[in-house]
Amino acid sequence: MRDKCVRVSELNSLPLCLGWVVFVHEFSELTVIPNPNSLKSRFTEGLLRALLRINQHHHQQPRSSREIRKRHRLIKTAAYGSMASAVGNRKAWSRALLSKIRNQARSGAVLRRSLGSSTRLLSMKKRICHLQKGNNKKNRVEVGGSGQVDKLRRLVPGGQLMDTCSLLEETAHYMKCLTTQVQVMTRIVEIYNIP
Amino acid sequence: MGSHDNDDMGFQHRNEGSLNCPSSGMSTNPLPEKVSRMAMSSISMFKPSNAPDPFFGSGWDPLVSLSQSDNFGGSSVASQSEYTNHPYPVAMETQGMSSTSHLVQYPSDSSFVEMVPKLPCFGSGSFSEMVGSFGLPECAGISNSGCVANYNPNRDGGIDRTSTMGAQSHDDRQISEEGALGSSPNGKRRKRVPESSPNKNAEGELNKDMSGESSDYLKEQDEKKTKQEENAASNLRGKQTGKQAKDNSQSGDAAKDSYIHVRARRGQATNSHSLAERVRREKISERMRLLQELVPGCNKITGKAVMLDEIINYVQSLQQQVEFLSMKLATVNPEVNIDIERILSKDILNSRSGGGAIFGFSPGMNSSHPYPHGIFQGTLPSMPSTAPQFPSLPQTVLDNELQGLFHMGFDSSSNIDNLGQNASRLKPEL
Repeated sequence: MRDKCVRVSELNSLPLCLGWVVFVHEFSELTVIPNPNSLKSRFTEGLLRALLRINQHHHQQPRSSREIRKRHRLIKTAAYGSMASAVGNRKAWSRALLSKIRNQARSGAVLRRSLGSSTRLLSMKKRICHLQKGNNKKNRVEVGGSGQVDKLRRLVPGGQLMDTCSLLEETAHYMKCLTTQVQVMTRIVEIYNIP
Repeated sequence: MGSHDNDDMGFQHRNEGSLNCPSSGMSTNPLPEKVSRMAMSSISMFKPSNAPDPFFGSGWDPLVSLSQSDNFGGSSVASQSEYTNHPYPVAMETQGMSSTSHLVQYPSDSSFVEMVPKLPCFGSGSFSEMVGSFGLPECAGISNSGCVANYNPNRDGGIDRTSTMGAQSHDDRQISEEGALGSSPNGKRRKRVPESSPNKNAEGELNKDMSGESSDYLKEQDEKKTKQEENAASNLRGKQTGKQAKDNSQSGDAAKDSYIHVRARRGQATNSHSLAERVRREKISERMRLLQELVPGCNKITGKAVMLDEIINYVQSLQQQVEFLSMKLATVNPEVNIDIERILSKDILNSRSGGGAIFGFSPGMNSSHPYPHGIFQGTLPSMPSTAPQFPSLPQTVLDNELQGLFHMGFDSSSNIDNLGQNASRLKPEL
């Protein structure tokens, strides 16, 4: 009864949207998912699942800043982790990122189990975490190149281990993935309509 | 075999008489009385030995003629001509004649004939030279070992071997001669192989250092390369310089499949280090060009330092955006709908960021559930792309939550307006 037809023109008039024809019927509709195996799809899938898991764990609305910070950290890790998983082992930066996340998880779990969650030991936990992070960064530093190249090395995950040539290559791919990440996350935020 | 014994004796005498020197042997035979003595015996032995030995085939004739001429003081002219033509086989066969009992062990005709052409390969490598050596007057009174040494004047190994030949039996002599023969052509072959067929490994040793080193360096690098880089590197081959052009072209063609050959361009340093560095620099500049295309608004920038700065800034800004967005997501109300994730994923994939009012169907997770009601009531203006899914899905799954959120549904209209503003707000951020 209600045949709602959304034509391409309407959608095309909107900026940045892909053109496709969608006939909207009451009980049948046709949507086109561009390339279900693309990086974007894989990343989106992983990110949404991670968000789901996080929301399941933390039911209540985060009121305190500490809770928000914790969730923020979790979501950030989820975003980078799902992006690295979507890329897989093909790129050096994704491998480095995944191993970093796994190390963090391992050390975090150990700490949590050993020290419990009392506030007295919280500061100690933080100190240990920071130290461990520092240890992880003590990778082979390749001498050479200007200060800019070193800055770039610090930005790109796993950049300390590469030579300048491959660093630039990895940077290009990393930039592309970051762009996708931002796009998808923006979209999610829009959907959630966070004011 | 009496005839064979005679042969034996004759040969020994001949050895003493330096029979190995064909040209001079005849004229300077120092043992005429022995010759005359043996004349009768040799004649007698000549014919019978000739017939039953098809072994020697063509090579036999000069030998026979030699023995004949030796015995007769070199009176036959015919043998002389044959002498000059086949000094080698003659010499070889005279040694073979040392003991006719060994004749059966003599190599087959074919193999012997094979050996003949190789003889010119000896040290000097020229047949005429060897012939000339035969013509030396020293041949006259030289003993077996000495004459044999003269045989191969240029070959050290040969001399060593041939010097011992006299002491050895015929077999050993044969084998050592063959060995000497075999080794020298091999040595020649070894040297010739890289020249004739450009072997990659040999090439690396023989060609200039630059190509070898750079190709090795490039081989290591190449293994990590992508196709893109290979294509770019293949463009590095410039003009050829110097005489190595031909070799390099051969090597380049042969080596194309495994690693890239870099040739020095005109007017550029051909040092191996500078060549490798140039390759590296070009690779880096090529990557920088790619990055320039990725970073928005960097088309006009020339210069590595400025470009690197821009790249660093861009990556930093992207990472900050991710952080900001994740912070935003962290503050969201966690009671959002779970099943809508599926719809969400479709929607996310089907539209890009800042997609405007497309997602009007779910302006917010809070208000998404009452939305179908809104649709059915038909007052809401925005037409969502995947709206019809709402009647089916959310209602069936989220009935229990609908009541809770229903009262929030009336905020949906206001949310839609906010939504449009939100989208526009978010857009300029990026």
